[in-house]
Amino acid sequence: MHPNLDHSSIGLSRRQLLSSLGAGFGTLALADLLHADQAPSGVVTPNAAKAKHVIFLFMAGGPSHIDLFDPKPSLKKFAGQRPAGADLRTERVTGGLLPAPWEFQPGGESGLLISDLLPQLRACADDLCLVRSMVGGNPNHAPAANHLFSGRIDQIHPSLGAWVSYGLGTENRNLPGFVSLSDGGTASRYVRNGYLPGEHQGTPINIAEKDPEKMVRYLRNGTLNREQQERQLEFIARLNRRQLAASGDDPALEARIRAMETAFRMQFAAGDVFDIRSETQATHEEYGSSSFARGCLISRRLVERGVRYIHVELGGWDHHENIDKSITSLSRQIDQPIAALLRDLKRRGLLDETLVVWGGEFGRTPVSESGNGRDHNHYGFTMWLAGGGIKGGVAYGATDEFGFRAVENRVSVHDLHATLLHLLGFDHERLTYRYSGRDFRLTDVHGEVVQELLA
Amino acid sequence: MLLPTFHSFVRHGVLRIGAITWFVSFAGLAMAADEGLEFFEKKIRPVLVERCYKCHSSETAKPKGGLRLDRQASVLQGGDSGAALVPGKSDESLLMKAISWSGVVSEMPPDRKLPDQVLADFREWVARGAAFPVDSAPSAAKPRAVDVEQGRGFWSFQPVRTLPTPKVSDPSWPLRKIDSFVLEQLDRQQVRPAPEADRRALIRRLSFDLLGLPPTFAETEAFVADESPDAYERLVERYLASPHYGERWGRHWLDVARYAEDHPTSEATCKPPRFPFRYRDWVIQALNDDLPYDEFVRRQLAADLLDVPRSELAALGFLGLSPVYHKEPKLAADVISVIVADEWDERLDTVTRSFLGLTVACARCHDHKFDPIKTDDYYALAGVMASTQLVEWPLVETSPEEAAALTEVQRQIVDVELRSDYAKKNRKTPKAEGVDVAPFDAEVARWEAALKALKETKLFEGSIATGVRDAGLWINGDDPAWTLLDYQQGRPRDLPVFVRGNPANPGSIVPRRFLEVLSPRDAKPFQQGSGRRELAEAIIRDSAPLAARVIVNRGWGWHFDRPLVTTPSNFGRLGDAPSHPELLDDLTARFIESGWSLKWLHREIVLSAAWRQASRSPTDFHDRDPDNRLLWRMNRRRLEAEASRDAVLSSSGELNTTMQGPSVSLDDEKFRRRTVYGIVSRQKPADLFRLFDFPDAKRHTENRLPTTTPLQQLYLLNSPFLQQQAEATARSVLDEQPSSGEETARNLFRRILLRDPTTEELKESLTLVHNAAGGVLREGWTLLAHSLFAANEFLYVE
Repeated sequence: MHPNLDHSSIGLSRRQLLSSLGAGFGTLALADLLHADQAPSGVVTPNAAKAKHVIFLFMAGGPSHIDLFDPKPSLKKFAGQRPAGADLRTERVTGGLLPAPWEFQPGGESGLLISDLLPQLRACADDLCLVRSMVGGNPNHAPAANHLFSGRIDQIHPSLGAWVSYGLGTENRNLPGFVSLSDGGTASRYVRNGYLPGEHQGTPINIAEKDPEKMVRYLRNGTLNREQQERQLEFIARLNRRQLAASGDDPALEARIRAMETAFRMQFAAGDVFDIRSETQATHEEYGSSSFARGCLISRRLVERGVRYIHVELGGWDHHENIDKSITSLSRQIDQPIAALLRDLKRRGLLDETLVVWGGEFGRTPVSESGNGRDHNHYGFTMWLAGGGIKGGVAYGATDEFGFRAVENRVSVHDLHATLLHLLGFDHERLTYRYSGRDFRLTDVHGEVVQELLA
Repeated sequence: MLLPTFHSFVRHGVLRIGAITWFVSFAGLAMAADEGLEFFEKKIRPVLVERCYKCHSSETAKPKGGLRLDRQASVLQGGDSGAALVPGKSDESLLMKAISWSGVVSEMPPDRKLPDQVLADFREWVARGAAFPVDSAPSAAKPRAVDVEQGRGFWSFQPVRTLPTPKVSDPSWPLRKIDSFVLEQLDRQQVRPAPEADRRALIRRLSFDLLGLPPTFAETEAFVADESPDAYERLVERYLASPHYGERWGRHWLDVARYAEDHPTSEATCKPPRFPFRYRDWVIQALNDDLPYDEFVRRQLAADLLDVPRSELAALGFLGLSPVYHKEPKLAADVISVIVADEWDERLDTVTRSFLGLTVACARCHDHKFDPIKTDDYYALAGVMASTQLVEWPLVETSPEEAAALTEVQRQIVDVELRSDYAKKNRKTPKAEGVDVAPFDAEVARWEAALKALKETKLFEGSIATGVRDAGLWINGDDPAWTLLDYQQGRPRDLPVFVRGNPANPGSIVPRRFLEVLSPRDAKPFQQGSGRRELAEAIIRDSAPLAARVIVNRGWGWHFDRPLVTTPSNFGRLGDAPSHPELLDDLTARFIESGWSLKWLHREIVLSAAWRQASRSPTDFHDRDPDNRLLWRMNRRRLEAEASRDAVLSSSGELNTTMQGPSVSLDDEKFRRRTVYGIVSRQKPADLFRLFDFPDAKRHTENRLPTTTPLQQLYLLNSPFLQQQAEATARSVLDEQPSSGEETARNLFRRILLRDPTTEELKESLTLVHNAAGGVLREGWTLLAHSLFAANEFLYVE
């Protein structure tokens, strides 16, 4: 190793030095590289890890647990009334209890009750671990979503994906470790690196596009073909190598030379990974053709290529009114592709090492808003987990008889984070980053691993 | 004898009643003791063991909320929230409120509510006196107290003084005093400094360092050819006098000040400020004017409280542009209080780290674990933030009413718009349920009328900046459906300590004052308004040595790419020790003597032999000093986002050097001004910023962390901006009608790399141009220009 890489008092840790070299370290995780001399906090031996990848299916807006995953027969009995316990304060004026008009049926051998809105996902019930007792921290969208992804309601702290990328490093030097798939030109607001180094931010991919060249910003040059660009890069590389020789060896200059080579390869690697046209007709039919379906399919391709953390975002769940109609159409959008993703990962033997997480920033009220809608509800809601060391076919925790408030085995966002990090091989109290004079962690001073969720 | 007065009778009466009550309850406890203990062992202890002790027992290193439930003494003493139990009074006991999930305090146990029968048992147990076996275990030891007196001795708090010039091995090498300190340390390690950089490298380095722009090829040639002994000194003076200097160094300061033009989100209560650029322009102008740094600090914290021209109130953007978060009035006062406390925290953190290099915010929940800063110190300063409101200021003289109306009316509009909006939404539920909506309609009409009236109010329309004024903030939760932010102009607010940082858990009130460890022993609390002016004075007078060390060190870091203290915003015990302590002290002392002049500091540094060294040394001293801590050569550095974009525009000839005014999006394809005039967004940072390590403007940044990623290279290779600029450069070179391909290639090298190509490079260039673009020459030249922009030689400064 170059003497310049020696750890010293410069204030840059070896981790930062290495990460400033970006792509150069190929398939080695930073954690592995660092393990030999100065074990960085939070990184435990890799064999403790069940999961190597995370696919977080973020349902922005707050999907109704009451209509999807948490059956409450009492709502029918008290429809239109506001019995005691159904009068928690929420953002807006609410009316009486509003029953879900869907039937819940048992799915799989485990017989988990899941609504008729999600028949295909229900068939995967034996892989799902429903957490019916999630508790959020805030009833407004942005703070609640910040809380879900960074453990705080502000916008400062790094998101879960950035922590995972920071902790695990990258497995594929041609692709970023943290990818964010969303239907729109801009990146999700919840994939930031915060105070972690820039390479840990979620790379935004626009899944509204079908053409890979349009999905990734600046992926291709508009005027040069591959051969021309190869010539260009050869020319630049020659200039750079000469300059490097004249400068004496400088790891920063070398790193940029390698990053340039990687960028060149990435144009084609990325073209490959995001180009789902090579998938079979059967696969396309299995997933469906919506942009969210494309996101699910691309997620599987990213997992196959070693990307650590994939954030897939689908908005539209903020059903203050007309919930019946809107949730039917959104459920239809997610049911087939998510079920396809779970089956597909399983068939390929990837589900065991891939954690799939589904959920929104909060759930919705059992009481009505605007007659046929539901207000935000952070007192209790459902998220589910699958794969990567998670116990399938179980429902953990419970809300009260109306589905308003989590009352049994409550799981906070910090507990969820601690559990996810645990499955990835981290002690959430030891995965830290020094910033502003102290060591920060994803779970702040909270969080406990929920052992009951582990396989 | 006089009869007892009515008052004394009442007093005695009360005392007697109290005594009787005490006696009765005591007797009750005594009589029922055995029975009570049995009840405890049977009904209560098993529940405590099973459901509570995981987090609340002496077995736990850090019991949650500081509460232990396994000893009588600790139960009665309670945790952070106070006594857990009032024996005999079930309703008043915090423990009961918590386990009955009343919503008043944390709901315990958090995972699942205790069954009703168990709750009834607890109620009975407390009502019967909360019998608990007496234990002899000592109460937990108090944590080690912060020793302020001892803390006063810490190195960074000590006075600075000029020191004698050290003796060095080679007296001909030092050009400025700092060089002797540098060489002294090199001598000690038997390391030799590198020779001076060649002139071409030197002018490029100096130009980027002071102006953030490259020199032109002609300027470079002129400097290379200038043999007069003061050629370099004249160049330094010319650059320091250039208005581009303020644009470059102002941007450094804007990192520290976490300057941005919007808030992290953009809901109704955190709409973006209207004129953020006034602060950016003020910073640039202040630096160009070489406003003494102590005055620079004073104005940013308290210009409204000083005798300065109204236009100087733009300086208040330092606090005025602080990030603001949405405070939904429908949320409970407790929730809003937390958001507000977080905002105060961010401001306090930015002020203390920026000006003092101290992480005071670490003392929000407990005394600082490493530095002599107590939680009291934190809340004494947080009170200053709680007494300071973000407002708009007219930058010309107006009546106080006109100035105040600017903020007041806009705040009311936000409030009434929200109310009107909710009135409309709230109508929907009753309407759907067939309830009479007339009252709801009336509500809608009322707010719409109020809104109309407000919007017709005439407001000041001249030059306006976002700043601050003195006004205490209270969170008013009187209306449970509408939490109000109650600003009281001119009335400061002393805050209580928020126990463990929780505003819902107030401790004793702390008067607003400066940090004890940096104050004279007889210091008094702040007397004037919010105390901002006194805070500024305390920073630049009482703590002058620290404040000056911090800015001198920042300046050193921006010049050398490595500060003497590598944690420029942490001069506390967890910060790094200076690599050259004597140098830092001497330079700081002379900086203060110079009248806190930043331009003096620049001269001192860029005229030094240390700064003029080549970035490659003929002898490699990596083995002795791998990260060049001792400065045996100059550090090679990559251009920042701003400098790289500005350099491209400068090379193409398209740079528009207009200064000041509203910012423009960097994604706007027609935008050709310097990057410092591009929009800085906390919500949606420009691609250039996101990719090239521009700091997140939601918080103070002590230094940028350069990363090298493939995505950056994709931007350089493929973004429309680089493509256009390469085209413009090629076009501009071709417009000069070069006589041959060689000349065109040479001129492109000159434009972009400020030198002539070697024979080999010339040959390779022509091959690239002729082959790569399918024989279309103009595209070939564009490709060559583009390739030179992507070269390390362009992106790094020697």
